[in-house]
Amino acid sequence: MLTKLSLAGIKNRFKDYLVLLTGLIISAAVFYMFANLATNREFVKSNTQISMASQVFIFGMILLILITIVYIAYANSFLLSMRQHDYGLFMMLGAKKNRIGELVFIETLLIGVISTIVGIVLGIGMSMGLSQILFNQLGLTVHHFNALYWPAIVTTICLYVGLFLLSGIFNLTKLVRTPVLKLLHIDDEVYLPKRRPLVQLTEIVAGILLLAIGYVAMAKIMTLQLLAVPLALVTITLGSYLLFSAVIVGAVELLKQTNFANKKLHNFTLAQIMFRVRSYTRILTIVSLLFALALGAISVGAGFQRQAPQMAKSTSAYTMAINDMDKKEHNLVSQLNDTHTLTYSQKIVGNTVYYNEQEFVDHPLPMLDSRQALNDGSLKTLPIAQFKKVALNDMDFTGLVPKNGQQKSEFATQSDFENLNTATTHTVTIIRLNNVLAQRKILDRLEKLQQQRFPAPTMATVGGFQTYKMFNALFSGLEFMGFFLGFAFLAMLASCLMFKILSGANKDVVRYNMLNRIGTRRVLMKQAVRGEILTLFALPGILGIVDVLFGLQVFKPLMYHPNAMTGWSILIFCVLYGVYYGITTLIYERLVIPKEQMNA
Amino acid sequence: MQKTPVVSVSGLHKTYGRKNEQQYEALKGIDFTIDEGEFVGIMGASGSGKTTLLNLLSTLDTPTSGSVEVNGQDITGFKGKALSDFRSEEIGFIFQDFNLLESLTAKENIALPLSLQGVKKAEISKAVKEVATTLSIENLLSKYPTELSGGQKQRVAAARAIVHRPAIIMGDEPTGALDSKSARDLLDLMTDINKNQHVSVLLVTHDPFSASFCDRILFIQDGQIGQELKKADNNRQTFYQEILNQLGTFEQ
Ligand SMILES: Nc1ncnc2c1ncn2[C@@H]1O[C@H](COP(=O)(O)OP(=O)(O)OP(=O)(O)O)[C@@H](O)[C@H]1O
Ligand SMILES: [Mg+2]
Repeated sequence: MLTKLSLAGIKNRFKDYLVLLTGLIISAAVFYMFANLATNREFVKSNTQISMASQVFIFGMILLILITIVYIAYANSFLLSMRQHDYGLFMMLGAKKNRIGELVFIETLLIGVISTIVGIVLGIGMSMGLSQILFNQLGLTVHHFNALYWPAIVTTICLYVGLFLLSGIFNLTKLVRTPVLKLLHIDDEVYLPKRRPLVQLTEIVAGILLLAIGYVAMAKIMTLQLLAVPLALVTITLGSYLLFSAVIVGAVELLKQTNFANKKLHNFTLAQIMFRVRSYTRILTIVSLLFALALGAISVGAGFQRQAPQMAKSTSAYTMAINDMDKKEHNLVSQLNDTHTLTYSQKIVGNTVYYNEQEFVDHPLPMLDSRQALNDGSLKTLPIAQFKKVALNDMDFTGLVPKNGQQKSEFATQSDFENLNTATTHTVTIIRLNNVLAQRKILDRLEKLQQQRFPAPTMATVGGFQTYKMFNALFSGLEFMGFFLGFAFLAMLASCLMFKILSGANKDVVRYNMLNRIGTRRVLMKQAVRGEILTLFALPGILGIVDVLFGLQVFKPLMYHPNAMTGWSILIFCVLYGVYYGITTLIYERLVIPKEQMNA
Repeated sequence: MQKTPVVSVSGLHKTYGRKNEQQYEALKGIDFTIDEGEFVGIMGASGSGKTTLLNLLSTLDTPTSGSVEVNGQDITGFKGKALSDFRSEEIGFIFQDFNLLESLTAKENIALPLSLQGVKKAEISKAVKEVATTLSIENLLSKYPTELSGGQKQRVAAARAIVHRPAIIMGDEPTGALDSKSARDLLDLMTDINKNQHVSVLLVTHDPFSASFCDRILFIQDGQIGQELKKADNNRQTFYQEILNQLGTFEQ
């Protein structure tokens, strides 16, 4: 009988359950996607020649597990808030507490198991899709990646089912321990905001100070070394928390004084935000941090990847050198846009390659301004006397020899060069282009042709293209992980926020019902919902973006422009975050805004 | 002096349930009018259709047939904006419970109908202060509903119901959740508002004591108006006795 009643309760709130299940399924899918990378040692090893990578993954995994715990806690409180009134009623009607406990436990676990299984299936699908997109669109090369990976499945199941077991036990004890009357009236408890200007002021000052310390710590990572990261994490977390609680209360109070507050439902919206500040500050802090981490992961990954073409420019004065260009190669070269080409003659006597000095006077071979790391790739041309000295020790020049053995390079005057008695005169053509990335397919074919004709013991060709390919392979893995991590974090944090917001809907049903009765237009109620939720989404988003802009300074020693890709990632992020906002408002509106008339 | 009716109801029917479901006719043809400045009570046994009637009068629900006119306007066809604007301009509500928004102070709660109508801040302040003085709740204005007693909450609710000078105040058992002292205070207050501000009042109740404050009482029985009692020149005590007698005849 009780089971039937309980099932009837679920049927009544089927849409709410759908929300809950969908959220949990997405969370499980995201976790699976991440676990798929993190538990795949082969993948991590083969895609990152950096020893730090596996640590980054363990760190990411711990973070994701923490988020998952918070997430499931919120989802569970959403579930409990839906059910406690029903179960309180059953108990008041005389149902045994143990029986109720049993039912709640089974319900929680069942929801957990269903969402985990469906989530994993979805996760496999999403892994396939996302990796296809990344491989095809970004030209990434990634090895040892399988969408379906058993260890990841096992990890996901263990974590989720474990957490739902815990939630089930929690719900059971909570329902059994809480007095029935309290269960029935649990929604009535309210929090009254107290006005304490002095405390608020202190909070603001302390918050800004702590944030500043955190940001400086990240900017000074070179001097602070490893200490910077934990220091920044602690200070930024605390700072965000203090700032949120003070600024929201302060801003709402200021707005309440103005004419704005008296218009439409503004006062109501402000009061709603104020009322929820305390319970929201914690989640807003977490969300802003996760937002920063996610955005940071994507920006860094993408930044490194985008750095490959720049590296190509900064490590060599030219993109590729082609020996004895033939007709096929000539055709390919003429297809390249925005190129500079220079051709020099070579004569080979024994083990020495001779160059005509005059050709370098007429068409000087540019050299890199500087060979330091992170140079900007700018070029210089030297007077011939100096050039001859420097060139013989410069890789860009010595690498121009045909690649069939170790050869020495020498300069000869025009007449000496002409007098050298060799059967053939070779040529070497240097191409330099600005946009390596866009024309990489042609360059690839050129390189293949050269490799066939001049098999080299070590490197295929000289020049920036070869560096580009090396770094591209190295950074592809990083970018892939950055995107994965970033989207995993984003999906989780946005769902966290969504659930936190949705679990408050029950209380709002009464409020909006009352507003409807006294004649509030639906448009106004919708605006109120949108405004309130927008505030809750926007605040952590903005702070998260600020965190990232400062946080990326950490990578200054490693990257040309740590912020180069931030604009794009912020855009992508805002779009995705916006989608979450839209979904949340839609669901919320459906949950709380009543029909204008009964039976309408 | 010929009074113009504020509310006039004719041939009102309400049937619950869809065509192919089980149907129940809660109102079976109701006709009556409420004059300007009248205090009318509606009484009847539980399930007789009181709340149903009030919901139709306040546009919370739509009648199956019949018409309801408020200030000469037929309100049964109202939709969307017209509907909510009608509610916020012409009607003042006092419910049995969930009257106030607990996230707003008393003052903000009272101001709500005016904010909805886009009244200026200064005017709102003035109007709120005025009603607060009339209802002697000036010292409660900055408090939140959780800091108020049940009776105080209903006073605030009454203030909100009249602050925008509606055509009529409607109450569905507004004293239902109050102790007898607070209930009496609220009824005195409503009488006061009715007499001094000339606002019509429609009070749904099944409590004879509450009903004795009315000028006229309509008894609903099985979805129809069965009896009508007028206070006329009786004092409240006699009227109360009359109501008890009337109720007694129903029970036989
Ligand atoms: N939404 C509904 N659907 C179907 N039947 C309804 C609905 N609302 C009310 N009824 C029925 O209509 C009849 C009148 O209900 P109403 O709520 O108007 O009674 P009431 O006079 O207010 O009673 P009470 O004094 O108990 O509040 C009742 O028989 C009730 O069962
Ligand atoms: Mg009723």
